[in-house]
Parts: sequence; structure tokens; C-alpha cells
Amino acid sequence: MAQPFPYTYYTCDCFDSNNPLASKRGPQPLEEDERDFDPHNPRSNYTLYPLEQLLYCEDCQQIRCPRCVAEETINWYCPSCLFEVPSSVVKSDGNRCTRNCFNCPVCTSPMTTNSLDQHGDGPPYILACPYCKWSTVEIGIEVEKGTGISAQLAKIANGGHPIPSLKERDKERERKKELESRRREKDAMSPTQDSPTTDTERDSTPSHDDLFYNLSSFYKSQIDAQTPSNPFSSAEINFSSPSAYSRIMSMYSSSSRKNKRSKPAPARDAASILEGLSIHDPSNDAQAIERIKREGWSTTLQPSQKLAQPDPTIRFSDELRPLATLLCTKRSKRCRSCRHILSKPENKITSTRYKIKLLALNHIPRISMRALPSQYTQSSSAPSATATPFAYDALKPGIPTHFLLHISNPLFDPIRVTLATPSTTPGKVQSRVTILCPQFEVGANTDVWDDALASSLSPIKHSAQDAGQIEAGKIWDRGRNWTSVVVEVVPGFLDGVPGLASSIGPGAAPPTSTNDGRKRSGTGALRDVGEDDGDLNYDEDVLEIPVFVRLEFEADVNAEERGLGDSRGSKGEREKREEAFWVVVGLGRIVEI
Amino acid sequence: MSTSDRSQGRTRGTTPRIADLASTPETPRTPPGRSNSSIYGSPGGFRVEDEYVVLEVGARFVRGGLPGETTPRCTLTFGPDEQRRAADYRQWDPEHHHSRRKRKRDQAWGQDHELYRLDINQVDLGLVEDKFERAMREAFNKYFVLDTKPRRIMLSLPPKLPHALMSTILDVLFGNFQAPSITLLSAPVLATVAAGLRSALVVDIGWAETLITAVCEYREVNEQRTTRATKLLSEHMANILNAALDDEPGAGDPKAEISFEEADEVLTRVGWCKSKPRSNRRTMYFAARTSPILEEFEDAVESPEPTINIPFPKHTPPTELTIPFTSLAKPAESALFAPDMALNEFDDQELPLHHLIYRALLSLPMDVRRLCMSRIIITGGGSQLPGLKTRLLAELEALVSQKGWDPVRNYGSASARHEQLMNQKRENLELRNQEGEDKVSESLDPETPLPPGLQNPEEDFIDAKLSHLALKNVPSASLVGGVIRGVDTLGAWAGASLVAHHRIKGIVEIERERYLQHGLQGATREKEVSVVQQRQSMGPGIGMGRGGGDRASWTLGVWA
Ligand SMILES: [Zn+2]
Ligand SMILES: [Zn+2]
Ligand SMILES: [Zn+2]
Ligand SMILES: [Zn+2]
Repeated sequence: MAQPFPYTYYTCDCFDSNNPLASKRGPQPLEEDERDFDPHNPRSNYTLYPLEQLLYCEDCQQIRCPRCVAEETINWYCPSCLFEVPSSVVKSDGNRCTRNCFNCPVCTSPMTTNSLDQHGDGPPYILACPYCKWSTVEIGIEVEKGTGISAQLAKIANGGHPIPSLKERDKERERKKELESRRREKDAMSPTQDSPTTDTERDSTPSHDDLFYNLSSFYKSQIDAQTPSNPFSSAEINFSSPSAYSRIMSMYSSSSRKNKRSKPAPARDAASILEGLSIHDPSNDAQAIERIKREGWSTTLQPSQKLAQPDPTIRFSDELRPLATLLCTKRSKRCRSCRHILSKPENKITSTRYKIKLLALNHIPRISMRALPSQYTQSSSAPSATATPFAYDALKPGIPTHFLLHISNPLFDPIRVTLATPSTTPGKVQSRVTILCPQFEVGANTDVWDDALASSLSPIKHSAQDAGQIEAGKIWDRGRNWTSVVVEVVPGFLDGVPGLASSIGPGAAPPTSTNDGRKRSGTGALRDVGEDDGDLNYDEDVLEIPVFVRLEFEADVNAEERGLGDSRGSKGEREKREEAFWVVVGLGRIVEI
Repeated sequence: MSTSDRSQGRTRGTTPRIADLASTPETPRTPPGRSNSSIYGSPGGFRVEDEYVVLEVGARFVRGGLPGETTPRCTLTFGPDEQRRAADYRQWDPEHHHSRRKRKRDQAWGQDHELYRLDINQVDLGLVEDKFERAMREAFNKYFVLDTKPRRIMLSLPPKLPHALMSTILDVLFGNFQAPSITLLSAPVLATVAAGLRSALVVDIGWAETLITAVCEYREVNEQRTTRATKLLSEHMANILNAALDDEPGAGDPKAEISFEEADEVLTRVGWCKSKPRSNRRTMYFAARTSPILEEFEDAVESPEPTINIPFPKHTPPTELTIPFTSLAKPAESALFAPDMALNEFDDQELPLHHLIYRALLSLPMDVRRLCMSRIIITGGGSQLPGLKTRLLAELEALVSQKGWDPVRNYGSASARHEQLMNQKRENLELRNQEGEDKVSESLDPETPLPPGLQNPEEDFIDAKLSHLALKNVPSASLVGGVIRGVDTLGAWAGASLVAHHRIKGIVEIERERYLQHGLQGATREKEVSVVQQRQSMGPGIGMGRGGGDRASWTLGVWA
């Protein structure tokens, strides 16, 4: 369930028809009509879409969902300041707004830049969340200018310490390394006890970024040292031995052959923080524990807050950083199998219009279900002044209820529709479903004034006198380009009334559907699985009816196929077409009796 | 040293010890010493600037980003909210946050937060594909926001991921995201890279299992597994919280049954682990040794007892639980260390972490062990628990001082070398003496020889090299060995980012066309040979070089 009842979802079966790689993983392919679609299978969540979200490839004559289109970025922009970002900047500066747009790290609302000045218009400035009131004051950050916040923030760590730029980092690293090597030389002259890490580096715990850049520079120097001008000159190590031992040897072996060339320094581990080596420091653990003990739950971060952070391993609220707003993109969509463009938005950032958008709803009939108004079902009821709206979220188990299934045709040709549905819905709660008239025609989507002329499809008059006259095999009603039929539904019992399954008769489907690839072997042996205590899973009380829809119609031969010098492509040439897909109708929620 | 090691191999026949377990075929999918997922560069070719995206796939998350960036651009999870249908917006409904999600029938703890499970019999591969494809679409469309050029993919995977899962992941990346090539790198090797090391003992406390991998020169040489990992940890946390909620005054009649999300949040926010090993008879028994663990073996008692208030808005009625702070350290105790059980009561796949680390070290050839014990990398989701790393290292230290080898210090001088030899003699003696103590492995075949990869060469060569090296310009800090030492890592994703940024080629590189034709079957079986042939002209040692030309064949390396 996702939308208000009753709703209709459409499947795109690209996952087993269009990806040649994926098809081998699917279940044994069955005839389309034989395979029941199970809306309660977790996989169904990945194949069901509202009709409005689906595209249609006219060349492949198939529905296209987000999964079977290929997307191409047209442009990048910040959804907050609507600034269009050139692709070169995206490449160099990343996927976030580099101006002033930030989202609150606590509640994700857009943040505002506020002045702390008494008059409210001068430095210093802070970022503040108008919704939850979090501000950069809590992490000790103020900036001097009210614009270019992003650039300023990049230079300030929490607490106000400066963050060095990459260049500054490199310079500082070189300076420290110089010091280090001078000290080592001194140590070599007067050897003392070996101290693996130099204590002077311990002054402050290096940040994740510090270590990363140190490591990166270390590897660069190692690679440079290992890549002499002629890369084939210094091959000494015999890697043909799988022995781990030989790899150690290689580590210590500068040369096993006589080689008069200048030997590169042996490859080695990073040896200090400056090279990215960080020895475990128990005091970090102790501090964290002490802090949790002292400051409690509220000082720690929610999982979702952490995940949104640049460094998701942080733990405490004073480590939060404001989140620069993620850029958005405008993308065109192509059919993955024939590469034709299915949708292309206008370039302009502020425009929400499309140059091309081939919507499925222009090609696929809209199918919906709603309760049959009660005056037609209850023969004695008074005219409907007092009729209460049908309670879709309180379907009564065991009570036969009538619904109208309505199909409207967007095509300019009449269609012949065949509907099929399993006689009992798949899943734990088994409801009985009968489509009283599974085969019928729906008129073409002609212009309105044609409607008056089309006498053959005049609406069927129903009156209260017809009550109880619902006839199998006959449509309920029709209009210019629509037809409705009656569906009888007996909602199942939530607690699985004993005997119900057997009373359903031979049409009863086994609870495991055929398109469920899950193998259940071995689950019984697991001691930690959820218990089958008869309780229902999330949404299992929702009555969803899978309906297999097959359309047949005659249409003009596709312009493209007809065209281009095909001389016999005479006007009005027709071809037979067929379209078939599953829909899932969410009728409502079943209540307990 | 070589002779001693060999004699150690021979004495195996007499009394089985923990050390023997790792080298026996008890874990058929982990033959030590034959893997080759190292990240050696190929001949110093000069290839065009290829552009990569960097992915790390784990059981419960995907991290994705671009090379050279310090952190991934996104960490995507696989919870129920990520599995909703299109246009199902109920997760944004405030009501939704007040209802507790019930575990599905037939589902294991936390299963609806998993991308995959390792037991292939319980996996709906189609669903794995669905989840992964959706996550990757989000990664590309929302976080990578790249231009249309197809990107090569640098992919970190757990070693020995079942082939069915691997193909599922590769199918999506090649099929739906048009990757021209995918380089597979093993997560422990990348964690080693991201620690600045070439060899390490990587303890990856993951979701369903903790995986201990000895990495030597970027190659996996030994692997141990235990189910004592984050999943068990959060399950134990749930038990403790349920019990505490039931103890609250006015607790309702139905027993508290908090959801996975609640337990996981408590665990990651305020869960912790006592840093000091619990005192036990065995460590006290060895009191004669000078070991830091003896300084404190009782928890100091604080008064009043510190407590933590944890809100449970989804409980009926919503409540705020006040729980002793020490209770929040209990799950780590029982799930990861299980101190109340004797070693021989454990199944092989549920050894406590410290014993497993010890076993991993013990099963290594002495010189690899010497390196690895000083390069212990504790990583993975579970390692975030504050205090856990310190505790594991302390427990290991205690185990070593109780059972095993002497720390060997002071390399780099003639006297140190002498001391090392002496220590190793002593160690060997001890190992033999101690063989009578552990009865764990009696059922195992005592005749199984050390795999060739782990056998010693004959020369006493390393020592000479070492002393030689010490005079050269190699910082002694990079040669530390023989002492228990923990090294931090930036994690597998950062390792992959570094590897891709420096254009280091991986051994397992799969070209799109070949994969589309043959799938994983396209990998050559003679992986060791093919790798060597491609690599014989490589520069020494570093194991990294700038990438080379295309390869005619490819291998599955450690995943074969
Ligand atoms: Zn599709
Ligand atoms: Zn902006
Ligand atoms: Zn906020
Ligand atoms: Zn197409």
C-alpha cells in the first residue's frame, strides 16, 4: 500500500525480459498468463509503478520504467539557489553547492545565513536552521563574510581551527618530514632505544582527511620511487612462487640479481603519521566511553544523521558539519534497448516542462476499481441520500462485495480487453476474486463530437430496480472510450479461518507464488528467525488484486516502419498489435471480524 | 628459525593445537597461501586516463564515491524504507515514526536490512539484484551526478563472496550501468592499504560474521571466520533492552519486543565495550609474566552507579528507559568474548574474537606472524563500538603472554638479531609445552601438512636482510614486528579510493565484453600462472605501479 485506496499499480517486467544478464537468475520462465504476480513478494516493490511514472517506448512498444531507461545528465543545478553549475565545476568541486546553500545536519531543512552583529547586518555570520534551531554556533563556527559560505567553511574545522588546504598540507608535511629525517640521522649517530613512533606527532589526533592525504602522498612517493625511467629494468622479484614467504623476502630484498643500476629504495610500510600510519590509541576509546557516560543519549547522533555526514563514522553532536546542498540534475531518458529518447526536459533550470515525454498513460489504458454504489447492491435500500462513503480501509472478511473495474482507453483505436486474475489472491490472507465479465471491448479515444455519433456504444442505464441484477458475462457500463465490469470480491480472513482454504476449491493457489525465486530450504533450522505465530506481516492485511491485462487492437503501421521509401506503405495500412501486463489494484485494508 | 618452524610442522602429529586448525581443511573455502588478490601493478604501461567510480559492497550497505576523495559520497543502506514501492511515501508520515516495525515471519534478526546473506540457499538473488540496482541508481543519479561517459568501477568485495552473489552484483554494474571494466579488490587488502601497510592481520567485524584475514604483501595468506559479529551483538543488545523494559515499573503485559532498528540505534549510539579484559583464573595464573593486564582486573565500582536514559517512542506506551551504563557493555561481552564458556565448548564457527585472532596468528609462519601481530587492523561496522579495539588488543596480549610466543623487540642490531633467535627458540619450546593444554582440535586430521605457501624456505635469510636493512634509509618504524600493536585504517572504501586515485591496477580486472560473453566462467583457472606472466617485468616490491595495458585473460583471484 502506498497511496489512498483504491489505487492501481502497473508492472514493468523489464527485470526479466530486457536485461539479458538478469534473466538467467529469474525463475523458470512460464507462459505469461500462467505465472501469477504476487504483490506481497518483496520483489514486487521494485516492479510496480503508478501509471503516471511510467514511460512508453513507441519503437519497442513497451512500457519503460526507471529501471529500463538509460539516463543522461543535461545540466546540473543547485535546487536551493537555482544556480546552474557547469560540468567542469561539478568535476572539480563535486556534487554539492559551492555557494551558500546548506542543509541542517540535524533535520535536513535548508539553513539560513544569520548575522550575529547587533544590527543584524555585519560579521560574524553563522548558519542557522529555522526549523530545529540548530546552528553552527553549536560546533564553534562563525564566518566573516555573508557570502561564499562554502569556501569559508572548507577552511574552518569545528571549534574554529583552520583546515589547511591541500597545498598547505603538502608543505607542512614536507617541513615535518625534514625535521623527522634530521632527527633520525642524529639517532643513527647515537643509537638509543628504538621508539617506533615519534612522540612529537602525538600532539593532536589526526583527522580522517589528514590521514588520507598523508597516505596518498606516501603512496605517491613510493610509486615514484618504484617507477624508474625504464620500468622494465628493475624486475627482480620472482612472483611465480605462490609462497607468502617469498613476498616477505621481496619486501626486504632490494635485489636478488646483480644489478648495477641505481636500486630503488625498497618498498615499505608507512612509518609515521606523516605517512598516514596511525597506531591505535586506547585513550580515544576511553574518551569516547567517558563522554557517553557523562553526556548520555542526546549527545550522540542518530544513524540517519551520521549517514548524511561527509564522514559517517562520527559519533557526537559536536562533530556535525552543515551539509552543503546536493546538486540536482536534469536528465534525459532513453530506452535501454533501442536507445530512443523517451523523455527530455527543457534546458532551462526553472522550467518544469519537457521537450519530449512519452508517457505510458497515452498508450496504456487506465484501470481503476471502486466500490459499486450501494443502491445497486441492496435491493431494499432507500435512495442514496444517506449513503455513507465506502470504507476502503475496513473491508469485511467473508462478505461478498461488488466493485466496478473501470478501463479507459487512451488509444485512437478500439481495444479488445481480456482480464485474468487468480481466483484467490496470493499470500497469507486469501481473498476470492471473480471478474464477472473478463472479456470485452473498449471504444476508441475519438474526439468528443464523434461521441455523439457513435450510437453503438451508448451507456447502459442502471436504476435501483436493477439491484441484484448483476449478470455474469455482461459489462456493467460503457462510454465513448471506457467500459466497466463488475468484480466480486470476498475479502479473506486475517487469522486464516480454518477450512477456508479447502472451501475455495480447485482454483486455490498454493501460498508460494511461482515467481518467487526464494528458496526456503533450511529456514526451519534457523533458531533466530521470526516466529510464525500467525501474526501478519506489515501490509499483509492490504487486499491487493493482481490482474493480468491483455489488449488486442489494430493500429496504423508505425510511421517509422512505414516510411523511408517503402513504396507499398500505403495510407491506412493496419497491423495487429498486442499488449500484455500485470496491474495490481489495492482495494483496501481488511479488518478483523 | 627455519628449522624450528619446520620442526613445529612435524610435531603437529603428536598433539593438535589451535595452531593446527587454520591450516587444516576445516574451512574448505579458505585455503591459505594460494590467493592472489594483491594489488600489484602491471608493467609500467601508460594508459589513458580512465575514470573510475569506487564502490564498496557489504552485507548491509553500499558505499560509493569517486577516486581520490577522502570519504564516500554516499553510504546507502537496505532497510525497509529503501524497499518501498514507487510513490509510497509513508516513511515521511509522522505517524510512521511512532509505530514499531514487527519482524516478518521466517525472517532472521535484521534480515530486512540486508543486501544479501552468505548462505546462498536463503537468498532470493532476484531480490538482491533489485535492491542493488535501486541503490546504484540512487548513487549514480543523486550522488555521483556524472556526465554520460561510462565509468570503470573499482569494487571492494568481501573475499570469497559466493559466486552467485558476485555475478548478481557484476550483472547489475555491467548490464544496467554499462561499466567498461570492473576491478575487484578484496576488502581486507584495501583496509591494509588504507592503513599504510603491506602486511596486516585484518579483523573485520562485519554484519553476519567477523572475518580475520592475514594479509602479507597485499595477499591473503590466512583466513578465519566466526559468527560473533555485529548481528549477534545487536541481538544481545535487544535482549538486554527487552529485559530492562520489562523490569520497568508499570511495564505492560505483552513482553517487550523491540525492533531491530531500535536495538541497532542503541548499540551504535551508546553501546560500548569494557577496555580491560575481565579478570579470570587463567590470566591470574600467569601472573609471573610481566603483562599490563594485571594492573587492573576488577572494574572500579562507581557510586552512584552511572545510568543512561534512552527514549523508546515506539514502545507502548512510549517510555524513557533508565539503564545502568554498565549494562550497555554487556552485549559486547557476551556476543564477542563469551567469557563464561570454556574454549572447547565452542563450535568452530563461533570462537570468541580474541581466540580467533590468536588462532589466526598462531597459524601463520613465524615471520608472517611477526609482521602481522604488530599490524592488527580492526575494522568493520562492529569495530566502531568504543573500547572494543583496545579490549581486543588487550585480550590478545593476555592470551599471548599466557600461552604463546614472546614479544620480540629490538630489531635492527646484531644483538637484537641474537635476541630474536633466542626468543624464537624459546617460543618454539613453549608452543610444544603448551600443546597438551588445549584439547579443542583433537578431531582434526593431524597429518595435514602445512600448505606449501606457508612452508619455510631453507635460508636464514631474512635476518641477514633485516640487519642489513637497518643500516639503510628505511625508517625502523616501518619494520616493527613481534609486539602486539593495533593500527588504524581508514577502511576499505578509502583504500579503494587511494588505489584508484594512484591508478594502481588490480589483479582481478574484468572487461565488460568478456563478462557479457562468459560471465564468471570466463575467468582463467590458472590464475597464479596468468598473473605471473603478466607481471614478471614489474618493478620490485612496492606491489604498485602505474597501470599497464589490457590483459588477454583475467582471473578471479581470491574469489576463484
Ligand atoms: Zn522497466
Ligand atoms: Zn546553492
Ligand atoms: Zn534543523
Ligand atoms: Zn525502445
